[in-house]
Amino acid sequence: MSGLCWATATELARMIRTKAISPVDAVQALLERIAAREGVLRSFITVCGDAALEAARQAEAALAAGGDLGPLHGVPIALKDLFDTAGVKTTGGSKILAERVPAADATVVARLRAAGAIVLGKLNMHEFAYGPEGLNEHYGTPRNPWDAAEHRIPGGSSSGSGVAVAAGLVPAALGSDTGGSIRIPAALCGITGLKPTYGRVSRSGVLPLAWSMDHAGPMARTAADCALLLRPMAGYDPADASTSVLPVPDYAGALTGDVKGLRVGLLRAHFLADAAPEVREAVERAARVLEQLGARVDEVALPSVVHVPAASFAVVATEALAYHAPWLRARPGDYQADVRDRLRLGAFVSGVHYVRGQQVRALVRREVDEALARRDVLLAPTTPLAATVLGRAEAAVGDATVDVRSALIRFTRPFNFSGHPVCSVPCGFTAGGLPVGMQIVGRLFDEATVLRAADAYQRATDWHTHRPPLA
Amino acid sequence: MKSLTLDEMRHAARLAGFEWTDDELAALRPGLVRALEALEALERLPLADTEPTTQYRVL
Repeated sequence: MSGLCWATATELARMIRTKAISPVDAVQALLERIAAREGVLRSFITVCGDAALEAARQAEAALAAGGDLGPLHGVPIALKDLFDTAGVKTTGGSKILAERVPAADATVVARLRAAGAIVLGKLNMHEFAYGPEGLNEHYGTPRNPWDAAEHRIPGGSSSGSGVAVAAGLVPAALGSDTGGSIRIPAALCGITGLKPTYGRVSRSGVLPLAWSMDHAGPMARTAADCALLLRPMAGYDPADASTSVLPVPDYAGALTGDVKGLRVGLLRAHFLADAAPEVREAVERAARVLEQLGARVDEVALPSVVHVPAASFAVVATEALAYHAPWLRARPGDYQADVRDRLRLGAFVSGVHYVRGQQVRALVRREVDEALARRDVLLAPTTPLAATVLGRAEAAVGDATVDVRSALIRFTRPFNFSGHPVCSVPCGFTAGGLPVGMQIVGRLFDEATVLRAADAYQRATDWHTHRPPLA
Repeated sequence: MKSLTLDEMRHAARLAGFEWTDDELAALRPGLVRALEALEALERLPLADTEPTTQYRVL
């Protein structure tokens, strides 16, 4: 049964559909594994064991009755604890919302259930999604499973999603990404994560960090699984005015394995050039793999990204404070310290700063569009460094000492700003055995090409198949 | 930005509706000085003809 824990969502869906296994078997195997590992990993805030088993039994009955089955029929997933779930606590990883029980599912949760997915539980996260390390004082900071000796950060804010998928506790999970919160834990935990185009996936029923930069997306061990989840998740939602009316393609069907002639732009300045040598070399090797598969690789620069840290601070700090102001006044002591301080900084950002930030955003988006006008995808490291030891505020990147928090979001945040779709895939390991991630950035609403490139790379490499020591 | 006093910070915080102690303000000051310096740099960008992305529905 333990083999089921390492099956991909795509494999599980096929095995369940062909009755090679029962959804009850899959759910039971994963629940047993969660019970055995969670004492160390702390990736879940709530495990919905009874409800998941009941849903699995219903899925089994539906299968026996020969009904119309969704693409995820019987497949277990888990959700970052900021996606509303009817009747199940949705805490945002906070003490403030510790007892909050939504009446309805978030749109994406309802859509995934309608596609047949079974929700195993709610995953740990950086409090209110406001931090890239994945820290949580209230529920414990999840442990990165790639280091059995030291507690390393999992990356955040979707920390529990990264850890649970990497450790074989669930084949796929949902995360949210405002500055890199899907891609950073994906990179640091050695899994695959997709931040779709802004507007591709509904944010209705998802606790916000910064409305204009929040994205919801899938995290899994393969790009193929991200494609499998994205299709039912995506599409117009009248409850979210930012969602697009564009039709949703068959993402899994786009995974041909063929990248011959794909035009790839390697982002060196401000990305590769600022990454640790081991990270840079891993991404350069990955570019050569794509070249060997028939892609044409050149180099391209996005000079305006140097303004992104300040500009995105103006936008995120303002929007986050607007959401949190009532609690920040009434219950400041109930926030963990780093999040409280970050929120407080928003009080000093002026209206002019906010608009300036949105102007820079237009600049960055135009520049990314121009880079992609003659290319299909761009490549960059996901983070400049691998997972650091918990509590360490600074780390070495080459000869420089960097602030860990700022460094983690440096390469990911520009694409929250621009709204372009990005998939982070594992592309190697450091000498210390920690995973390294690479971003594949695509044109607006062209997740299909991003996923095709990611899947082709994973067909040619095995980085995504390695299992961490703590798993 | 040459300096930022606690009085200036207290005033700005009050305008935003917050009452924070001197210790709380002092803890925020280093990060705030860095942030405001970075925001000042944005004022030097040629953005006069760039419309902000306030309506963000792309397609």
